[in-house]
Parts: sequence; C-alpha cells; structure tokens
Amino acid sequence: MSKPERQHPVAAITKALDVLRGNFITILLILFIGGGDEDTFLLYWIVGVVVLLLVWGVLSWLRFTFELSEGELRIEHGVFVRKKLYLTSDRIQVIDISAGVIQRMFGLVTVEVKTAGSSSKEAKISALSREKAELLKSELRQAVNGEEEGVDPEDKEKREQKIYSLTTRDLLVTASTSGRMGVALSIVGAAFSQIDQFISDEEIYQFIETNMPQSTSASLVVMSIVSIVVISWLFSFITTLITYYDFSVDVRKNELLISRGLFERIQLTIPFNRIQAVQIKEGLMRQPFGYVTLVIESAGYGEKEGNSTVLFPLINKDKMHGFLEEVLPEYNYEMTQQETVPPKRALRRYLIRTLWWSLPIILIAWITIPYGVYAWILLPLGLLLGYQQYRDAGVCTEDDTLIISARQLSKKTAIVKRYRMQATQLKQNPFQKRMSLRDIIVHVASGNQGRSFSVRDLAIQDAGRYWQWLAMQHQTQPEVQDTPFDQPDAEISSED
Amino acid sequence: MRSSPKNNLSKSAVSAWRISTFIFMLFLFLIPLAMWMISYLGSGQMSLWVISAITFVLVVIAGLVIFFIPEIRWQRWSYQVDEHEIDLQSGILIITRTLVPVKRVQHVDTRQGPILRSYGLADVTISTAATTHRIPALEEETAEAVRDRISKFARLAKEDV
Repeated sequence: MSKPERQHPVAAITKALDVLRGNFITILLILFIGGGDEDTFLLYWIVGVVVLLLVWGVLSWLRFTFELSEGELRIEHGVFVRKKLYLTSDRIQVIDISAGVIQRMFGLVTVEVKTAGSSSKEAKISALSREKAELLKSELRQAVNGEEEGVDPEDKEKREQKIYSLTTRDLLVTASTSGRMGVALSIVGAAFSQIDQFISDEEIYQFIETNMPQSTSASLVVMSIVSIVVISWLFSFITTLITYYDFSVDVRKNELLISRGLFERIQLTIPFNRIQAVQIKEGLMRQPFGYVTLVIESAGYGEKEGNSTVLFPLINKDKMHGFLEEVLPEYNYEMTQQETVPPKRALRRYLIRTLWWSLPIILIAWITIPYGVYAWILLPLGLLLGYQQYRDAGVCTEDDTLIISARQLSKKTAIVKRYRMQATQLKQNPFQKRMSLRDIIVHVASGNQGRSFSVRDLAIQDAGRYWQWLAMQHQTQPEVQDTPFDQPDAEISSED
Repeated sequence: MRSSPKNNLSKSAVSAWRISTFIFMLFLFLIPLAMWMISYLGSGQMSLWVISAITFVLVVIAGLVIFFIPEIRWQRWSYQVDEHEIDLQSGILIITRTLVPVKRVQHVDTRQGPILRSYGLADVTISTAATTHRIPALEEETAEAVRDRISKFARLAKEDV
C-alpha cells in the first residue's frame, strides 16, 4: 500500500448518511418549516436533499485518499479545503475495526485510527474490505512494535480463555434497568407535546369519548403519565439491548478488546497503560439487586459518552472483585474501614442542597400544571436522596490508590492511582468556612477533557490530609511504562 | 495542612483588572440605553425617572465591583512553583486551592492581551491532560521565569501522563 488509494465506493453512501445523521435536526426543521403545506413541494425538498447528500458523498469519496508509506499513514481529504493528515505509526494509540449496517451489507469494515488527544474523526477510513483493513492494521502495528504482535501460539491459546461475555439473562436485566430512562423520558415527553401537530384536539376528544366514556380528567392525566413512562422504558430497553448485544471483553497481553452492538458492531481497544481510573456505578434501579456497572476512564481516547468506556455493563457486586482481579488486578480495591466520611454537621448542607433543585421544580409544577400539587412528593424524595448522598460520600486510601465515592443519583465509586492524578483541588465557600468544611476534587485524564471526582463537605483537616497525601506523589514513584503522551521524546533534552 | 503558597501576583494586576472590569461593566449600561431607546423611539411607557434610577443603581454597583473585586481577587491569589508541584490558591467567595504535580504538565504558555501588555503583565497558562490552570497578571519577566521553570521541571520528570 505505497500509493494513494481510494476507499470502497460504498463510502460515498456512508458519508452521505453521516452528514444526514449529523444534521438530522436541521434537515427536519428545513423540511417542516420550508416545506409548508403542499405535499409536492415537500417531495421536491426531500429529493433535493437526497441528491445533494449523494453528490457530496461522491465528491468526498473522490477526494479521499490514503496511503501507507515509511511507517506513516497519509490521508488526504476535503472537497473544498484540501487537508493532509500524516500519522506516524508510533503516535498511533489504537486501531479500531468496526462495521456498521451499511458496511455489513457489502462485507466491508471501518478503520479508525486514534492518537492521543487529537480528535479521531479525521483519521477514519469508512469503507474498506476486511482483508485490506487487516493488512493496514498489521502493517501499522508492525511499525510500532515489531515482534510483540507476532502471534505466538501459546499466547493465542491463553487469550482465548480470557473472554468475558454478557449472558442473555444479564443483557435483559441490563436493558430493563438501564439508566437511559431519563433521556428517553424527555424524548417521549417532547414527542407527546408535539402530538397535536398531527392529530387535532377534536379527534382526541372523540377517541376518548368513544373508547373510554367513563374516564375523568384525573384518570386521563394518570394514564398519560403512565403511558409516557411505559413508552420511555420500552425505548430505553430496546436501545440498551441494541448497544450491549453480544457484549464481550477480551483480555489480551497489553490491551482490552471490548466488542458490542447488534446492528453496528463496535470494537474498542484499550491498552492497559492508557487506563486512568476505574469507576463502579450503582444505578438507582440496579443497586437493590446488587448489580453494578464497571466503567473505565482512559486517556486521549474513549467513547463519545463522557469519554469513558463501559468495561462491563452488569455484574453482581459479589463477583465484581473476582472479575477485577482477573482483568485489572491493580484496580481491585474497595472502600476500607478507614474510610473518611463527611462529619455530622455536613448533613445539613447535603439536605439543603437538594432543596435548590427540588423546590423550584415543585413550585413551577404546582403553579402551572393541573394536579401539580402532587409534585410535593418530590420534597421528601429529594431530602431522602440528600441523606443518601451524605451516607454514600467517602474517601480512603490504600497503598498508592485513592478510593473515592459519591452519589448524584446513582452511586459512583472511583478507584484512582496516585500517579495518575492530573490535579487536585480543595474548595471552600463562605458557608463551608463557617462550618469548617471543604470539598476535595481530583482530576484524571479521560478522553480529551478529563474527568473529576469529588467529595463534598469533608471536615477541613480530613480534606487537607488527603490533599497532602496526593501532593506526596513524587515520593513514591512507581515505574510507569507509559507510552509518551503528546510530547515527542525529541523535545526532552537536558538544558541545564 | 500546609501554609498558603508564598508568591503574590504583581501589584499592578489590580489596576489592569480594574480596567478590564470597567470595560466589561460598560456592557451593563446597554440595558438602560436600550430602555431609553425604546421609550424614546417607540411607544414608550417607561418614565425617564425609572430609567435614571436604574442607571444610578448600575453606576453604584459597577463602581463597587470595579473598586473592590480586583483588590480582593489580588489579595486572595497566591502561587508557588517548586520542582515537584504547582500550588495555586484563588477565589473571591469560593476559595480554591489547586495542586498540580509538575510531571503532569503537558505545556505551559504565557499570554497577554492589550490591557495586560500596557501594564507589562502576562498570564501563565498551565495545561495537563485533564485540566487547564491560569496564573494571571504576573510581571512579564516573572511570567517568563515561571513558565521556563515549570517547563524545565516538567522535562526533568521523565514519565508522562
């Protein structure tokens, strides 16, 4: 592959679809607002948009070439503005091969090359035959670490044993307890509020009168709330099912390979030395059943969703430590007895904080919505949540590991290595000052932005102690066999 | 808990900040200006008295903000850079103490806008893989010294991320 090549022509279609997906809302708006009432006019619009997209797709396919030479992946693309992207193979962190619906129809794959920090969008070859993709991958890999990737039969055998997959039963449990309800609720709610665009009020009244003659307005409100909840639950059930279908974690020598997805198979490669922290999430609906979700934060690379990657969507809390021991033994820690928790006087602040959001919601609901008076239920629920947040907040250290837990809605426990901290902060507002309390916040690298974990309202001395502990990291320097991050070695020269 | 970081910002930071706050506050006066325009041009219901009262209140608030906030901000700001860590303390109401291990630093730069430049000041911006921190309004030479110091220490600490 030493001369510039084009992708498979199918890339034109996927590009068009990508643009469509990216601008879905804009296009919908144009269709509805620009389209007006006349049906034929709308049809012209749709045809026009489709033709435009296809032309754009073909043009960008024509203008996209890639080549591999001298251990460098060279991509040239851009219809109007020509962009050249040269990726040296020793900067490449991850090579992902995945296949979307369109790609699968033609037996093709997508290759994504990711480097630390940079956005990965550019270095994506969206349609390629599988053989070519494998060839590209092996050539790029070879340039990185020649013999390491050479398949050793014994090694291969060992790999095969260490695959963890999600059972069908667990998949169903995951889907039915997924936290996506919230998102789904807002979508379905919005859809419901738009319903009068398509059906007139009279039609609705007529429907109600003929089918449910004895219903009162109260029962109607309850019914619509129930149906919104049921529909959003179904929605979240199905989307979660699609996302985590056939989920498996393959533990390899240097990396984890996570694959999942029903229509779109997604494969994620996470090298062990890029992992910055592990999070244990106990969702509201899963906690009672003793299930947790394991999430990895990794540097310079991750999923869109908050730049963290699901290591395992659903696992029993008892089995979690066994799993971590095998997959990521250095992160197999739990909160010990020496846990530092917020002092009693902090409880008041935890409770008051929930009022900041619950009271406005209640008041607005009370004033604007019929039966909004029932919104007062939120008040005790909010206070209960505040109390739980107080109970679940805590931090402790063991060896060179910080274990920090807090609750927003679901409880999250983060396990962070001291030598992975990017920055630590103490915060104090005037109210906290009066009560001798402080927040502690630690930052780790994750994706492009980083992620922070915090515990609120610790006693001033306790917060100071942990801050100090984190500050001492230069005294215990473990040998970190890290790949360089962003700064080329060449710049490291001794000057003094 | 150790003591606060020992270096202060340049004293002329206060004057520089006063100017930038003043410019920012000017935008506030677009509100009474817009009100006046509406009542003058359109079918105005608003009495001139109300508008003048609002303007007066805004002048008082802006004056207080311009006079006090930069001073308090300067008093609360302190920083310290040694071979192991960068220690920052800042905040007007909410006091934040930040500690950045020097070996986590990815790059440092100094920057100055027109106001800072006229006072011979510059900001130092420190980026890690996760966060960005700023030491504002140092004297140019100090800023450059701090920047070089951090980058030297960061290079000495070999490991990354």
